[in-house]
Amino acid sequence: MLELIDLKVAYGGVEALHGLSLSVARGELVTILGANGAGKSTTLMAVSGLVRPKSGRIMFKGERLDSLRSHEVVQRGVTQAPEGRRVFGPMTVEENLRLGAYTKKKGSEAALAGVYELFPRLGERNTQMAGTLSGGEQQMLAIGRALMAEPELLLLDEPSLGLAPLLVKSIFQAIRDINAAGVTVVLVEQNARAALKLADRGYVLDVGNLVLEDKAENLLNNPQVIDAYLGGRRAAENQAG
Amino acid sequence: MLDFDFFLQQLSNGLTRGSIYALIALGYTMVYGVMKLINFAHGELFTLGAYFGYALLVTRGIGASLGPPLAIGVTMIMVVGLTALAGHLLERVAYRPLRHSDRLAAVVSALGASIFLQNAIMLKWGAQYRAYGADLLPNVVFHIGGFNLPLVRVLVFVMAVAVMACLHLFIHRTRLGLAVRAAAIDQGAAKLMGIDVRRVIAVVFIIGPALGGLAGLLVGLYYGQINFNMGQLYGLKAFTAAIIGGIGNITGAMVGGMLLGLLEALGEGYVSSSWKDALTFVVLIMILVVRPTGLLPERVAEKL
Repeated sequence: MLELIDLKVAYGGVEALHGLSLSVARGELVTILGANGAGKSTTLMAVSGLVRPKSGRIMFKGERLDSLRSHEVVQRGVTQAPEGRRVFGPMTVEENLRLGAYTKKKGSEAALAGVYELFPRLGERNTQMAGTLSGGEQQMLAIGRALMAEPELLLLDEPSLGLAPLLVKSIFQAIRDINAAGVTVVLVEQNARAALKLADRGYVLDVGNLVLEDKAENLLNNPQVIDAYLGGRRAAENQAG
Repeated sequence: MLDFDFFLQQLSNGLTRGSIYALIALGYTMVYGVMKLINFAHGELFTLGAYFGYALLVTRGIGASLGPPLAIGVTMIMVVGLTALAGHLLERVAYRPLRHSDRLAAVVSALGASIFLQNAIMLKWGAQYRAYGADLLPNVVFHIGGFNLPLVRVLVFVMAVAVMACLHLFIHRTRLGLAVRAAAIDQGAAKLMGIDVRRVIAVVFIIGPALGGLAGLLVGLYYGQINFNMGQLYGLKAFTAAIIGGIGNITGAMVGGMLLGLLEALGEGYVSSSWKDALTFVVLIMILVVRPTGLLPERVAEKL
């Protein structure tokens, strides 16, 4: 469904992605792991058309995305809940959600009902200003907003960032539900263990290069991954025990 | 009693001026809201509106041929359309090519466009004052006790308020208005919603100049004469009004414009008419010192 072919992205003169290739099949939940500056967010921004690749291709359902403008990418069925949530703080929850359905010419009532069902908290606070929500609620709003366009591919950038463990759990449960409902998901995460438990497959990036790709359960047991991203072997054993 | 009439006189004077400042200030604040850029050529678009009105009403003589109400209506629509077009061309030529460059490049380009427009207006219409003519509007004055209220003041105020009400509805009740607000808050996030931000920028560069052009026409009708460099002082004052209200904030621009008009008229009436401009900018400096973000932006909920 989504395929990146030898993708290079540079900011000014500095290259942030040095030729990344990866693919995501329809219905999959794929996670991209890596430390800060590995190029995870850059990858998602390139898919969404917010940064232009220097070279390489981004294919979505047989069509090149890399020459499209960002609003055209949304029209093709690819949406994103960006890092830091970036909800429209001075607008109400419902206005935020309606903005998510901006590309839909027809009514968005069904999508709205779906989002309120997935996140009942948003329904309770629909007239509240988004900027006054808690971090977890803002994350729900960012994800709900990205669902309003009824995407085929959902890009999630660090949805667990800065959230309490209990909230992380419920956000991840929601992501599982979204994927089960047929939406293909690409999940960028620093919380590698939680992401791998959820995902079908994973890619590991390191300073702009792809270093590993495997099934999620294999990555969970891969010593290299355990050392670098899962807090070392002892932490993994504690977790297992 | 006499004192109270004088107060009403200055009050109505202030509201009329304030309406004009508010209309111009809206153009500054809308463009700033979306682009975080001061459109330094906005004052000249205002002047252009005044001269488009002059060309239609006086040079073309439609004021004499159509009769006052119809002539003013037609002129208003055409002035709004023409300045909107001019604003759109300005965006295409002076701003759009620079959208990926440094912010400073756009500022310099804006200053260049301002100088170009001012000189173009001077070359086309001359450096002398141009008169709109006294017979354009019926010279009706309402007498309320000792307080005199000319019809033209009512017209300017009502037009400005009506236009601002329409703008408010557009921003808060339409899909495109929602997109403008979103782009003003976070352009990147707006793009992720599928909003064509380039189109939003085009829209604010059409609406802002249209409002400024209308203000130019109203100044011509109200004061009866116009000049090629009138956009400088009006632009500066309206910009001040936008800052007073909190730049980027639409309600703030309306409130700031009215406040500035009232302040000027009351300062002129009770302090000194020759110090009124100095007074305006003293207030600007004071507000910048005490509340650098303007009077309204704390209520972020109302931003744009």
